[in-house]
Amino acid sequence: MTLVTHEPLDDDGHAEPGHPERPERLRAAWAGVADLSLAGELVRVAPRTATRAELTRVHAGPYLDEVGAFSYGGGGDIDGDTYATYDSWPLAQRAAGAGLAVVEELRRRGDGVGFVAPRPPGHHATRDRAMGFCLINNVAVAAAALRDEGERVLVLDWDVHHGNGTQAIFWDDPTVLYVSSHQWPLFPGSGVAAEIGGLNALDGVVNLPLPAGATGDVVRQALEEVAAPVIDAFAPTFVLVSAGFDAHRDDPLADFMLSAGDFAALARFAVALAPGPGRLAFFLEGGYDLGALRSSVRATLAAALADERPNEAPTSGGPGHDQVRRILAERRETLDLVHAELEEGR
Amino acid sequence: MSSHPHTIAVGFDGSPDARGAATWALETAALLRAHVVLVYARGLLERHRDPAREFALLVGQLVGRAGFSPLHLSWHVGDGDALSVLLRATEAPVFADLLVVGSRGRDEHAGLLLGSTSLQLAERSPVPVVIVPTGHTLD
Repeated sequence: MTLVTHEPLDDDGHAEPGHPERPERLRAAWAGVADLSLAGELVRVAPRTATRAELTRVHAGPYLDEVGAFSYGGGGDIDGDTYATYDSWPLAQRAAGAGLAVVEELRRRGDGVGFVAPRPPGHHATRDRAMGFCLINNVAVAAAALRDEGERVLVLDWDVHHGNGTQAIFWDDPTVLYVSSHQWPLFPGSGVAAEIGGLNALDGVVNLPLPAGATGDVVRQALEEVAAPVIDAFAPTFVLVSAGFDAHRDDPLADFMLSAGDFAALARFAVALAPGPGRLAFFLEGGYDLGALRSSVRATLAAALADERPNEAPTSGGPGHDQVRRILAERRETLDLVHAELEEGR
Repeated sequence: MSSHPHTIAVGFDGSPDARGAATWALETAALLRAHVVLVYARGLLERHRDPAREFALLVGQLVGRAGFSPLHLSWHVGDGDALSVLLRATEAPVFADLLVVGSRGRDEHAGLLLGSTSLQLAERSPVPVVIVPTGHTLD
């Protein structure tokens, strides 16, 4: 199968000394792609700059104006985590455009698996706030474009941090299903099981908050037992993965214990959810250990392309199996409560 | 239900504006016999940070100057951005019925992004919000 990706972004100008979200991350991710030696099975499209109309599907216009003005004014720290430089704004627009270009190429070909490597990452950016290293929500921009083409989009987010921005953007949208496995408690503090979507999209959010130390078997159990039935009922026509690799055991920013082999297993899970070829794309989010990032990108894409070369062994035995049962119960209770309140209101 | 607050949550990141907000909250709480909760929003890069220990000396000075009993003071450290963490402080386990913030936080640039945290808080909070202007401090 073909990997559809994009030419690397010129991202060296978006950097701050000592910050873990740095240009070397993309070099590591591309090295993971190169490790696959795909030759003729690799298609690279040219990234383009996302238009304002494409960005305002998910972001407020005044927010875009302010971030742009802040960046072109020289930038600085937006909050304790998030920064912008003079180069950040044009880069962020091209990163979002790269995602759009890859998804458009997948749809045109009707074949292949997509991979998008944007910087800055995106899933924490809300409609009107930059946070958690993120300026533009890249996966949300792509999901909204697909939705407007009539697709039913699943966003599967396995970054170790909850994608609060993506969740908030599609909270009340019945045509986009958001599923997230993440460490909890941890930044950004959202992502509890009782967050199940707005009144127009009940069951449109599936959160799988798991404890520090969770291993790959726990994440898979949560996805299979809690998320899979909801995904089956939703019947997505397109699957976008917010593929953060900071759940790897070597990552410095969190405490999950996954290996590259676990990401291969998660990728196979994602492949099984896509309704056919050309209907699945991975968007890089976090991942701050360069070696883990490289091996995890390689393992993920190899598995998605049905290349069964060996990886680090999958992990098991971590805490969180009991938590899966609690997540199921909490979701059921919340749904029952909402339905009862709706019934009372009639 | 009583008309005066029982639990005052104050955003505290050690910045000059946060000290001013804490001072106002402690003075007010002393008059109202209310509990004060210092709220710290822990960012993505700060998961091991312990603000209660880091700011112990500073907070001790503020409490002493305000004549407030430290028995009625506690900390709440929440993961996330300041706006979200302060809004969550109105729910369990803090149940704040008054939020107090300075005009501008530690890392906040003037006017960015779509208004400051304090103004967004005033728009979205389910409980009253006091924004203490820059310069309100006993320093």
